[in-house]
Amino acid sequence: MMKKMIITAATLSLFLLTGCGQTAPDLNGSSNNISDANALTGDTVSINENTYGSESGGRNSSSDGFQSVYFAFGDYGISSGMENTISQNVNVAGNAGGKRIKIEGNCDEFGTDEYNYALGLKRAKSVRDSMTSQGINTSNMVMVSFGESNPTCTNSTDSCYGKNRRVDLRLIK
Amino acid sequence: MRYLLLLLLSLNLFAVDASLKIEKDVEHRSRIALEDASSSANKQFFKILLSDLKISGHFLADTKHHRGDLSSNFIAPALKSKEYVLRYALTQASGTKLIVRLLKASDGKEVFKKSYAIPTTSKAPFLAHKAISDINDVLKYPSISWINRYVVFSRYTTAKQSEIILADYTFNYKKVIIRGGLNLFPKWADSSQKSFYYTSYAGMLPTLYRLNIYSGSKQKITSSEGMLVCSDVNKNGSKILLTMAPEGQADIYEMSSSGGSKRRITTFNGIDVNGKYVDNESRIVFVSNRLGYANIFKKSISGSGVSQVVYHGRNNNAVDAHGSKIVYSSRESQNSFGNNTFNLYLTTSTGSGTRPLTARGTNQFPRFSTDGSVVQYIKHSGNGSSIGYTNLNSKQSLLFPLGARKIQSIDW
Repeated sequence: MMKKMIITAATLSLFLLTGCGQTAPDLNGSSNNISDANALTGDTVSINENTYGSESGGRNSSSDGFQSVYFAFGDYGISSGMENTISQNVNVAGNAGGKRIKIEGNCDEFGTDEYNYALGLKRAKSVRDSMTSQGINTSNMVMVSFGESNPTCTNSTDSCYGKNRRVDLRLIK
Repeated sequence: MRYLLLLLLSLNLFAVDASLKIEKDVEHRSRIALEDASSSANKQFFKILLSDLKISGHFLADTKHHRGDLSSNFIAPALKSKEYVLRYALTQASGTKLIVRLLKASDGKEVFKKSYAIPTTSKAPFLAHKAISDINDVLKYPSISWINRYVVFSRYTTAKQSEIILADYTFNYKKVIIRGGLNLFPKWADSSQKSFYYTSYAGMLPTLYRLNIYSGSKQKITSSEGMLVCSDVNKNGSKILLTMAPEGQADIYEMSSSGGSKRRITTFNGIDVNGKYVDNESRIVFVSNRLGYANIFKKSISGSGVSQVVYHGRNNNAVDAHGSKIVYSSRESQNSFGNNTFNLYLTTSTGSGTRPLTARGTNQFPRFSTDGSVVQYIKHSGNGSSIGYTNLNSKQSLLFPLGARKIQSIDW
């Protein structure tokens, strides 16, 4: 009995001890002596879209007699202080001889990409809906959000941030 | 006899303990030193190799810029404590050539050798990434092939003007792909990175295009009043998630990548944006202000119920997903203006197991790597802006400086 235990223990020890060994993956047998040259994929293009005539242009305020509408931080409702501005814009739109109006929503620099563009669009929509309620035909107005891409100023001041949280209006030529 | 038995039993115990040690060592990182055998030492290239080794999570790299002889198998005594020595030679004359040799530090035995060549010098960083990725594979670590991929990003240049740029993950390589006009929200269209979607403001309405970066061919997908963003692409590239506003109300839609009819997924009359596929593309997670502030929600693509995913923070306005993993950016300070603290959190589509990935600064634009093992993000702090990477398994992080211009959107 004792003899059997010893033989079993010895055999077990042999197996377990030979299991100890390397601390890194075994590379024996891998044929890794490669010396070929490897090229990366082909060259990428470079496109200049200045040649395609940009509708967006560089105008970062209202034009054609319209006045910009301003908003509080994170907000897209028309404040009482802006109602007069909306009314004046309605007058300008009414005298535009049926020309279509572009309503551009903008934001300050805070927040991140998509959310900011959606916030800008909500502001544009608020202005559009307010003008519609005062008689301007919805189909005569087109909305676009420019998010934070179109600042009127770039200073790090509360005043400048406030100037950028706005909706611009202009006639579509 | 008794003593012999005792001895054999002791040996057994030692052997079992050694087996446990081997299991732990399989997960350990290989200690490696770099030896630059180039005719003139290139510090920048050395740093790129170091970054690759570090972010892989599989190596403990010696940060000293050693010099060596490419053809020799001699290992300096000071490096014998390492497991491997990577000897390399970079040549940049009418193109770029890189030769690498991986040697065992104990005896100088070569275990891997390869040479790489490209006709330009600007893409040299990709040779470094390819070499480290190959060495990682040879040593049978989990793949880190994501380090070979392009990053595509857009940044503003002036008011209503931007450019779309390709880069390597370290931003050592950069090339302008689209300049001029306002072109935003680039998003890779396929896993092989041959094309990307982007939004153009060249016309009256925002328009989504798909551009092949090799042929230059451009295909119009759709346009929308208000806004238009491709926020996600499904695994086989056949479907895309869009944020669009065909009636002036921004919602999330799904559309075939070849254009045509679209399926509206969200219907809330506030802000729903940034849709990402989760749970085998049966659901989306997205950002919505339906509770009065930006937060993360989940919805079945075909069903109507919406459930909240994140229950902490009062402004969680960016999200990305991989499988059932979710990473989001959460505002943690209350400044109305000026810099705020945004930190990144990792969670799941059920909102369980949430943990922070960053601790300070303004951390935004979280993006998973294609295998979900690494999170990319943009960090703004008092020292400027950086692009950051966090390896979710090894917890290693790296930061690379960015230029002064603000990044608008990024994908990789």
